[in-house]
Formats: sequence, C-alpha cells, structure tokens
Amino acid sequence: MPDLGLEVLFKGKNAVRLLGGLWIALRISLISVLISIPLGILLGALMTWKNPVMRAILRVYLEFIRIMPQLVLLFLVYFGTTRAFGWDLSGEVASVIVFSLWGTAEMSDLVRGALQSIPVHQYESAAALGMNRVQTYLYIIIPQTIRRLIPLSINLITRMIKTTSLILMIGVVEVLKVAQQIIEANRMASPNAAFGIYLTVFILYFLACWPISLLAKYLEKRWK
Amino acid sequence: MDTSQILLEIDHLTKKFGDQTILQDVSFQVRKGEVIVIIGPSGCGKSTMLRCINALEEIQGGEIRVDGETVNAAGGNVRSADLARLRQKIGMVFQSYDLFPHLTVLDNITIAPLKVQKRNKAEIEQEAMQWLERVGLADKAKSFPRELSGGQKQRVAIVRALCMHPEVLLFDEVTAALDPEMVREVLDVMLDLAKQERTMLIVTHEMAFARAVADRVLFIDSGNIVEEGKPADFFTHPATERAQKFLHTFEFEAVK
Repeated sequence: MPDLGLEVLFKGKNAVRLLGGLWIALRISLISVLISIPLGILLGALMTWKNPVMRAILRVYLEFIRIMPQLVLLFLVYFGTTRAFGWDLSGEVASVIVFSLWGTAEMSDLVRGALQSIPVHQYESAAALGMNRVQTYLYIIIPQTIRRLIPLSINLITRMIKTTSLILMIGVVEVLKVAQQIIEANRMASPNAAFGIYLTVFILYFLACWPISLLAKYLEKRWK
Repeated sequence: MDTSQILLEIDHLTKKFGDQTILQDVSFQVRKGEVIVIIGPSGCGKSTMLRCINALEEIQGGEIRVDGETVNAAGGNVRSADLARLRQKIGMVFQSYDLFPHLTVLDNITIAPLKVQKRNKAEIEQEAMQWLERVGLADKAKSFPRELSGGQKQRVAIVRALCMHPEVLLFDEVTAALDPEMVREVLDVMLDLAKQERTMLIVTHEMAFARAVADRVLFIDSGNIVEEGKPADFFTHPATERAQKFLHTFEFEAVK
C-alpha cells in the first residue's frame, strides 16, 4: 500500500480542525437553505402569476443568477460591493448572501415547476366539489406540490453544500482550506499527505451529502 | 309542465372561445328525477355545455340557474361564496376521473364533505363505505388512485360526487377513456342511479346505454339543440337529417 500520509490526520488537532472546517461549510449552506426555501417558495408562487412585469423581473433575476458562475458572484459581492459601497463584509456573510441569492433563484424555479405541473383538472375537480380557493390550495394543490418539491429541493441542498468548496477563494477557512493548510504545514515531514487529506475531505463531503441524498430517494419512492 | 319541479334551467346559453362560437343560444330545462342524455358529434359543444353548467367556463350570453339561483351568467357576476355553495348541488364526474392522487380512495370521497360541508367524520365515512360496497370497491378504501384500474377510478369518482348529496349529477363522457371491458361496470353504476330517480345529465357516445337510461335525448350539433325527444322515438325515427346521419355512423354494413 502506498504511503497516503494519513498519519498527518492524527497530528495535533488536525482531525478536529478538518471537522471544524466542515462545520463552517455546513453552517453556511444551512443558513442559506433556511433563507432560500421560504423566499424561493414566495418567488416561485409569484412566478406563476399572470402579471407580465412581475414575471419579467423574476425571470431576469433567475437567469442572471443562473448564468453567472458562483465564483464570479462571490467575487462580485465580496470584492466588488465592498469597494463600491464601502461596507465591510466578512467572507462568511458574503458567502451566505451569495448562496441565498442563488438558492432562492433555484428554489423559485423548482416551486414554479412543481406548481405548474399540477394539472388544471385538479383545480377543476376541487371546484366542482364546492371547494373555494383557499380550500383548493390547502387540501389539494399544496400537498401535491410539496410532494413533488421535497426530493428536488433536497438535491438543491446537497448542491449547495458541495459548492461551498468555492468560498475558500474569498478567504473563508472551510474544510478544503483547512485541508490545504494542513498539507502545506506538513509538506516536508509527510509529502504524500495531499492524497490522504483530500481523501478525508472527500469522505467528509460524502458523509454530509449521502444521507440527504438517500432521504430524497426515499421520499421520491414513497410519494410516487 | 309543473314548473315547481324544475331543478336546472339553461336559459339562452351562449359560449364562445375567442371568436369561435361553441354554443349558440341554447335553452332547456331539467326536471327533478329526469335523466337527460346529450349526444352529438365530437366538437359539437356538449362537454363544454356541462362545464358551463357548474361554472367551470365563463359564458358570453344567457344564464344558468339551479333551484332558481343563478350559478353562471354572462358577465360572471356570481359571488364566489355563492358559487361554492351552488356547486355542491351539482355533482360532476369527468372523463379523466381526476381523483386526488395524494389521497386514499376513502379520503378522496370524504375530503369535500368533511372540509366543505363540515359534516361529521364518522357519518361520512360510513356513508362512503356503504357506497363503495355498493359499487364493489369496499376493499379498495385504503388504496391510492394509482393502484386502481380506470373503471375502478371512475366508480370512485362517481361515489365522490354522490357523497356531496348533489341534486343533479353531470357525467362528461365518463367511459370515453376506459377499456371496453371496464365501460360496463361504470355504466351499471349509472343505470342503478337512474333507477333511484336521480337527476342526471349524461354526455356519452354509448348509444345502447343512452337509449336504456334516458328519459329524454338532446341531440346537439354545431352548438345548437337540433333535436330532442324520447329515446324510443329518437333512436328509431330521428326526425332531422343531421340526427339520422349521426346515428348512421354507429352502424356497420356487412362487407362479405
């Protein structure tokens, strides 16, 4: 077996530092998810409105965020806005802003898709049974929308967790950055540590995302 | 005619989609306990007419009244609270069943009586089970719609409409999407309802069934009632050429 330099993990507090880095990545994604989901639901519902102005604005927002690589958005918020407006943003706050903007845009498109995928017959059946608008949404449309939405939004959460690996570029010391620091510090003693440490990072991401992914699959099956 | 018995009035109904006129000045009345079968070539407006009756479509002329109250009128000035109340008097069964996929058969049936009519849960469930028993689906109460065949779904949809205690039932080509062997089980349920003197408006392409179930047949073509009469007269000697031609499309000449 080749030397993976895994012994570096057990030096000092390296393992704990990596876990701390993972926690920072997870915290940023979870806060962003908590902001994105309600905002996304709201914007997604607004997207199904017939108002052309509202639709155009939301469309531009969605396309802007989607076309822009996340890294460019991070640079724009962290370096661009701080210079332009003279405010002071920490890397973590800038990350939460970008991930919330992105998550809200993606979520709103998922919500719009889920709402529009409910056939018009479902509304008509409910109306024919004497349900009013509120009852129709409460008992018929929203429960079906949520069933379609949950697997999709869980996948969005795992994408957000994975994309936090970019925030080291604006100086946030998350799991990947910690890994780099550990490798750098041990370059002389354990030159092979890069493999072992990045392998550990891979396993950490996997352990964070896999259960979420399984949950999505389970719910998809159950509600099919 | 005894006007106190009139349940449903279609009064000079005109329906357009854009510039296209679907129904032109259609009037007729439905008495309590009457079974009316509406037939006509596809695209003649018969399904649209049923949809106008419970206000799923806006209408451009005339008025529709149930029990003397306006449920749909040109200009659409029916209050939504009135509409929800009046629609409970009009049960509708659609061609594509349209059960709620996230609810069990029993919940599909009980949700509207429970939430709209605020009736007692035990009482509705008992009633729903009696109906399911009667249409041969008691063992499917806990199943989801996706686990049922088309014919079974359609029978559930009929029970769902019945449990709202409607005064009139509208059937919109309810067997058109079914495999032939399932058509019968659904038609049998409807024949059973006709025997109980329920008021029904049935749009169908099943001519033998129409003849057996109808008190009155309306033949619609190009947005107008072209002919109306007792089924025995209509099916044996249709008076108009258009009706003769239409009925002829259901007959086949031997070719060998």
